[in-house]
Amino acid sequence: MAGLATTFGSGAMTNSINEIENAQVILVIGSNTSEAHPQVARRMFTAMDRGARLIVIDPRRTLLARRADIHLAIRPGTDIPLLNAMMRVILDENLADDLFIEMRTENFYGLRDMLFRLDLEEAAGICGVDLARIRAAAQLYGRAQKAVICYCLGITQHVCGTSNVQSIANLAMMTGNVEKEDTGVDPLRGQNNVQGACDMGALPNVFPSYQQVDNDDYREKFERAWNVSLPPKPGLTLMQMTHGGKDGQLKAMFIMGENPVLSDPVISKVEETLDNLEFLLVADIFLTETARRAHVVLPAASFAEKTGTFTNSERRVQMVRQVIPPLGQSRTDADIIMDLSARLGYVMDYESPAEIMEEIAMLAPIYGGMHHDRLENSWGLQWPCWDREHDGTPFLHKYYFTRGRGRFVPAVHEPPAELPDDDYPFLLITGRIYHQYHTGTMSRHSPLLSREAGEALLQLHPEDGRRLGLRSGDMVRMRSRRGEVQVKAQLTETVKTGEVYTTFHFSEMPINLLTISAKDHFSQCPEYKVCAVHLEKV
Amino acid sequence: MTEKYILKKDHLQPFLRKLKKSHQLVAPVQNRHGDTLFTEIDNLDKVHIDLDNQPQNSLKRFFFPQQEVLFTYHNPARDSYYFETVADESAPTLYFGVRPCDMSALLYMDVVFLKNARDPNYLHKRQNNILVGLNCNEPFANCFCNATRNGPFIDFGFDLQLTDLGDRFLVEYDRSRGQEIISSWRQFFAEAAESDVKAQYQAFLEARGKFRLQVHLDQAVKKLAEDEVPESVWEELSMRCQDCGGCAYICPTCTCFTIRDQPISDSDGERVRAWDACTFSGFTLMAGDHNPVDRQMRGIEKRFRHKLQFDVKKDNRPSCVGCGRCVNICFGGTDIVRFINMTCCGNI
Amino acid sequence: MPSQLLELYLPKAAEIQEVIEENSQIKTFVLAFVDPEYNDGFSYEPGQFLMVSVPHCGEAPISISSTPVNRGTVHLSVRRAGKLTEAMHDMHKGDVLALRGPYGRPFPMASLVGRDLLFVAGGIGLAPLRSVINTCLATGHERSITILYGSRTPSDIAFKADLQAWGQRDNVSCQLTVDRAEPGWDGAVGLVTALLGHCTLAPHETKALLCGPPMMIRAVLGQLADRGFADQDIITTMERHMKCAVGICRHCHMDDKLVCKDGPVFTLEELKQLNVMELQG
Repeated sequence: MAGLATTFGSGAMTNSINEIENAQVILVIGSNTSEAHPQVARRMFTAMDRGARLIVIDPRRTLLARRADIHLAIRPGTDIPLLNAMMRVILDENLADDLFIEMRTENFYGLRDMLFRLDLEEAAGICGVDLARIRAAAQLYGRAQKAVICYCLGITQHVCGTSNVQSIANLAMMTGNVEKEDTGVDPLRGQNNVQGACDMGALPNVFPSYQQVDNDDYREKFERAWNVSLPPKPGLTLMQMTHGGKDGQLKAMFIMGENPVLSDPVISKVEETLDNLEFLLVADIFLTETARRAHVVLPAASFAEKTGTFTNSERRVQMVRQVIPPLGQSRTDADIIMDLSARLGYVMDYESPAEIMEEIAMLAPIYGGMHHDRLENSWGLQWPCWDREHDGTPFLHKYYFTRGRGRFVPAVHEPPAELPDDDYPFLLITGRIYHQYHTGTMSRHSPLLSREAGEALLQLHPEDGRRLGLRSGDMVRMRSRRGEVQVKAQLTETVKTGEVYTTFHFSEMPINLLTISAKDHFSQCPEYKVCAVHLEKV
Repeated sequence: MTEKYILKKDHLQPFLRKLKKSHQLVAPVQNRHGDTLFTEIDNLDKVHIDLDNQPQNSLKRFFFPQQEVLFTYHNPARDSYYFETVADESAPTLYFGVRPCDMSALLYMDVVFLKNARDPNYLHKRQNNILVGLNCNEPFANCFCNATRNGPFIDFGFDLQLTDLGDRFLVEYDRSRGQEIISSWRQFFAEAAESDVKAQYQAFLEARGKFRLQVHLDQAVKKLAEDEVPESVWEELSMRCQDCGGCAYICPTCTCFTIRDQPISDSDGERVRAWDACTFSGFTLMAGDHNPVDRQMRGIEKRFRHKLQFDVKKDNRPSCVGCGRCVNICFGGTDIVRFINMTCCGNI
Repeated sequence: MPSQLLELYLPKAAEIQEVIEENSQIKTFVLAFVDPEYNDGFSYEPGQFLMVSVPHCGEAPISISSTPVNRGTVHLSVRRAGKLTEAMHDMHKGDVLALRGPYGRPFPMASLVGRDLLFVAGGIGLAPLRSVINTCLATGHERSITILYGSRTPSDIAFKADLQAWGQRDNVSCQLTVDRAEPGWDGAVGLVTALLGHCTLAPHETKALLCGPPMMIRAVLGQLADRGFADQDIITTMERHMKCAVGICRHCHMDDKLVCKDGPVFTLEELKQLNVMELQG
């Protein structure tokens, strides 16, 4: 989220999901929306029913790409040259919104100078896309009165993830496609309540509501409220914690509802790090691969067993209500934290989730008006919601960007950390499928979902299949410089030759044995989307 | 059926209270979140029976639960494998406030579960129940039972059928059990006057004119029978379908199911039957990964052909009852109304 | 409820009397119901199938490969394909599985009487035809019988004992072919259609019964049509995913037909009314 925070000042969808229905042009980049966010895809379909045009930028010919007016099947990891080329076309054809740039943004000249030095043919060559098609896409987007850009992990999970996002923001600002209804830049969140977790400060550098820990005023505010002294130094990022624990300085970890043994890159490194901890505590609803390595496992309650709120991609805070009491010995997350804290000597005395929400409203300004009684009988409120009288905010940056002026941050192409070569001639892309969720901790317990998608498949182009003597259903040994897995082949023209695609849901085929630990310099998000592999028939 | 009666609205609750003594009561209830659902009612005085909104669910799950244990199996040793039936404890039930679409759907389910073979679990739940229907004076937003020809009023299938006449209900009966109920609880029923019967007909006439959707179902049936549906329709719909199965789950006439073993321990388990959907690719997938249906291009074809072609061929009527629930639930926009519109008008 | 009704989905335990290893992929299980009274009363017709239950694996339809003339046991010939059949292949003599059935429309045995018979099978496809052939032979079928059987390799040839016994009959011509020869094989190499080309047949007096992979079926159908076979004289069996086997769950749909109830045996005439993927190139 660092990308949008530096350009707009706020790292979240600028629109509401419903607004997508009214867009005239929808640009989807790095998102297999119809599989990963079907509820967003449905709005795209509605918009198209109403005449909207769709541009999809994706290395694969996904279902959504097949429906697109323009599909740009770029080489993975070449988003920046593509977006830069689109912006150059927009400049050349006078489609930039000069007034918007003048009124609401800064540093446009920095971007413009960089674009004028860009060689369009060369950029198109890097992306592997015909320049005429890039031109067509730029014209379509640049001419729209109301245009929405949706992106997802295909943008952020690269070494240049933050710059990718900044380029998207540049494109939107340059054409004035932000700060309005039905118009904006929309990162689609990967999981339920990831937005909420970030909002609540589950990041190394901020308290709830994105108040920096190294800012004395903010820190003092929280110290007063909690009556403790708080460290002024940002904490460790996820990758720092699970990859070496800062050279063994990390002694203990408490992992809640996350399964890094399957989900983080270079699994062997994660396993080694966790096994070297003096103490590992895991709270989850099922015994995950990570929980199996823990010294103590605490059974947590599922969504149906607790009351509280979830915050979704469009910043909407919604109530979930307890339907049944926690089963067996399981307890709610809040209960676990409060009890643990009390035993460690700090009493947290909250009689209900509503009381916790009151404290959130007090300390986190963007949640200032969010109280359970207001959320109870509604579809929720979208932050920022400053106080009880405030109705929430369907779209962000009305009148001005959160950070004041939107800042253009020019970006140049940075190739993926590892590209195919003679030894590892295929480029592996990882992603998700519709019927499974994340590491399958929950979804693999459903017999029906497992029937629909019960094992990992490696998509590869029929031509590559022929060369390797592979037919659909054959087992393939796939290895990278970091590890090796066996996976079933599926020949399909969804992927281009030289590129293969699979999912990370299945513990029998832990794909993150292969992925690379190279990560974005700012967000520390790993480059899951690209690594080089070698294939052979088993 | 000639006799018609009047039940005053004030007497509805006392009447239900009497019947509830011998029957479990299921009726549309509006919950505290504003959703109206067919619900088992424990305490008649503590719920709001909602006859103004369409229940979001049909009666399907009461006769054909989403998951149901058929029997348990036991395999304590390699040479021992035996089964124990599970007693179905469902009590005699009164279903109240059943709309013509849901009533017709139930009659269709009778054919599915009892014609080729007599399904024991369904039969048990279908026996010993009372069906009290309610004609629709005000079709709901997505209703098109006028096109499927089983509404807005219905004159068969029920035990008792009510028509709202303002402060009172006109009551008709179809089966002998309905007649028995009226004679057992004669104090609630007055004989209908000529004017009441006329008022009922007027309500019917007016209801017929209030449908908001125009669905050319007959035309789609004809095109399917004559094989005139363009390939592009199937392709477009299959691509839009998000594979959630919502249409089949919400549909009162979708009755396809799967059967599977649910292990409980190494030696024991349950054989479970659960709702399935023909739109899922696993529905037809055979051992060895062979699938006789091209899922990407024709994944959704079977659903519409079954309802509007194969069942018409067999039973001379479509097995869509026009309740419109799939229009609400489908987020890919691949519901039956869209299919019919695309087929007949070329709209997408 | 009458007890018979309760048992619609309830299988009956059956003990494995013998396991015959036909080849590396196919085993024939000789089964008898544990309940002796039920076993005595059990009957079926060629072409019908049973739903087989294996603990924790659910059920799968398997066609009966024995002839009903031999009472007391029933044969199921099973190729390794999925979870249930894998589990079956791990079972031995004395182990118990469970069966329900028989289900499905059988081969029209009466219509075979007094006609020449042509059987064309590939791989496991011989299983249901074996039931028909052995029934015809046991009931004294007098006219000529031609059996053409294709396998991948000589070591893949299944039902060797039957093939040998059939070959010794005067009115039976039994011919084998393989896709790929192995050392020591001096028989035919190639598709069954090549064998078919060399057969002398009287199309109007012959019934043709086929069972095998879709590619083979399509090729054979083409040739039979060229030689003047009428669609109603060509009979085959269809395979579909099944759950209830009694015409309710609709997994085995083929247009308005259900394979469990209207099939699995169909004439080509019937199949041509339907949209069947196996018949489409």
